[in-house]
Amino acid sequence: MADTSKNKESGFSMKRGVSQWAVTWRRFKKHKSGMFGLGMIIALLVIAALHNYIAPYPPRPLPGSFTPLYEGEAGMPPSLKHPFGTTVMGTDVFSEVIHASVYTVYVTFLATVITMLLTIVVGLTAGYLGRHVDEVLMRITEVFLVFPSTLLILVFARIYQLKVSEPFWYIGGISIPVGLTIIIFIVSIFSWAGNARIVRGEVLRLKETEYIQASKSLGASSRWIMLRHILPNVLPQVIVLATLTMASAVLVEAWVSFLGFGDPNTITWGRLLQESFNDLSTTWWAEIFPGLVLFLTVLAFNLVGDGLSDAINPRLRE
Amino acid sequence: MNILEVEKLKTYFFTEAGVVKALDDISFSIPKGSTLGLVGESGSGKTVTAQSVLRIVPKPGKIVGGSIFFEGEDLLPKKEGEMRKFRGKKISLIFQDPTSSLNPLFTIGEQLGDIVVQHMKLKKSEAKEWVIKTLKLAKLPDPENAIHSYPHQFSGGMKQRICIARALLLSPKLLFADEPTTNLDVTIQAQIIALLKDLQRDLGMTLVMITHDMGIVADMCKWVVVLYAGNVMEIGPIDKIFEEPHPYTEALLKAIPRLDQTKELVFIPGNIPNLIDPPSGCKFHPRCQYAKEICKEKIPSLEDIGDGHFVSCHRWKELNNRG
Repeated sequence: MADTSKNKESGFSMKRGVSQWAVTWRRFKKHKSGMFGLGMIIALLVIAALHNYIAPYPPRPLPGSFTPLYEGEAGMPPSLKHPFGTTVMGTDVFSEVIHASVYTVYVTFLATVITMLLTIVVGLTAGYLGRHVDEVLMRITEVFLVFPSTLLILVFARIYQLKVSEPFWYIGGISIPVGLTIIIFIVSIFSWAGNARIVRGEVLRLKETEYIQASKSLGASSRWIMLRHILPNVLPQVIVLATLTMASAVLVEAWVSFLGFGDPNTITWGRLLQESFNDLSTTWWAEIFPGLVLFLTVLAFNLVGDGLSDAINPRLRE
Repeated sequence: MNILEVEKLKTYFFTEAGVVKALDDISFSIPKGSTLGLVGESGSGKTVTAQSVLRIVPKPGKIVGGSIFFEGEDLLPKKEGEMRKFRGKKISLIFQDPTSSLNPLFTIGEQLGDIVVQHMKLKKSEAKEWVIKTLKLAKLPDPENAIHSYPHQFSGGMKQRICIARALLLSPKLLFADEPTTNLDVTIQAQIIALLKDLQRDLGMTLVMITHDMGIVADMCKWVVVLYAGNVMEIGPIDKIFEEPHPYTEALLKAIPRLDQTKELVFIPGNIPNLIDPPSGCKFHPRCQYAKEICKEKIPSLEDIGDGHFVSCHRWKELNNRG
């Protein structure tokens, strides 16, 4: 917090400064919908972390199987015992949604990390180094922008779906679904291009600022200028883009699974939507509830993105 | 002894509209420990000269010829890595706008401390001491607390003091001050000028004042280099330049407003020429009140007229009754 101390000789006092991040957080806290979104994301993280304790029923032992687990309780409408009802197969929708939230978190964060790494590396080098490097990187970016990425994601997803031999990697006792991880990589590779162009534009603007010139005149290296001056200044922009990337990553994984191109060994929200799609006329709750949760999650990320963008650039709000 | 000798320096900007000859064959030298004024209108090449010496000319600019000797060493053939050892440590630069030349994201202590840690290999606590000491040198009030503040918390004059301290951090021998007072109000201007004068004297630095204000030049500088459209018009000791000036310098001197002035302020007609397609002969001839045929046809050379005074003008001798 601000503390003021007086200089005895001059009587002049200087307040300790507040960082841009603290200012941004202060503004974000006042942003109601942004805070609401953040609350929902925190709830999602808590649910994912504690899914085994929250869900009343365990996950399916074999994700590929359709064995009814709860005989006699198939196709039940929502009740106290089954808050989201049960499917025609006899699975508890509520439990499955809770268990699947782990994968949602996994998809969101891994896809965003990969996408943003590509974004930063391409945007920063193209913008800062300029000339030939910029030419080459921007042509590659354009190729990725004009590709019909929707179709290509499906093609690659299908190729890898057929090729995967082992369903899970076990790393330190944690099972990582191979198919889903591959889908995350495929989705990420097709998501960075637009972001990279935005970051490049920002870098081009920053490159001309006098403090970069000043830094150069004091003997700073290109690497130093990129990491110490340019990167921190594009970071706010990158964070906004990252939250929006999170929203789209959730959505893309959902539709890939919904179309049946997802990882056959993991039950994600998209997969739940796909399984119950044919029984929509009878067990509508098996479709509506996962859909609603998916909608709320995407909404939450978008609200946070909006809130952050307003907090970082208050002038853009009007 | 000259600390810096610039010989036939050419810096061109390769723009889409054509080649802008920002510095076209300029030569001058700076005696060690002196204060030199680099004078000219906007666009005459003052800033580009400083950028060229530090080799930080922004793209699409490029140094295409000449040599720059700093303490006898030619800087132009040096590799980028070697050149970096000169920047800040031997030659430093103060910018025109103190607000935009500080990174808004970091505190003063972080920005200045970074430079010290990087170049002097000091520990963090030692670096902090060094930064505070240098800020005191630049007479920034309350430096112990100022290092925890962000640039936006300071006034323009205080920011310029911080920028001056930053330029002095690595104890350079040669300091370029690129219009350091243009963006400050008049009372602060006087303080900054006084500060630079004191620092130059106390630290024994060589100072180059880049300015278009002949008042500042008269106040501070021993030597003056007058630039016009990328050419050196005149070099000389300050008194000679005020006594027997080049026609362009004369016009600049007449354009200074005076308190006892009764007539309208004199100005130089026209604009600085387009440097892609400059005028033939002497580049100043279209605006010169003494111009004759020869000025249009022949490029004048920089002539030594004694006492360290050099003038590039066909008609100077005639106008000053020297032959």
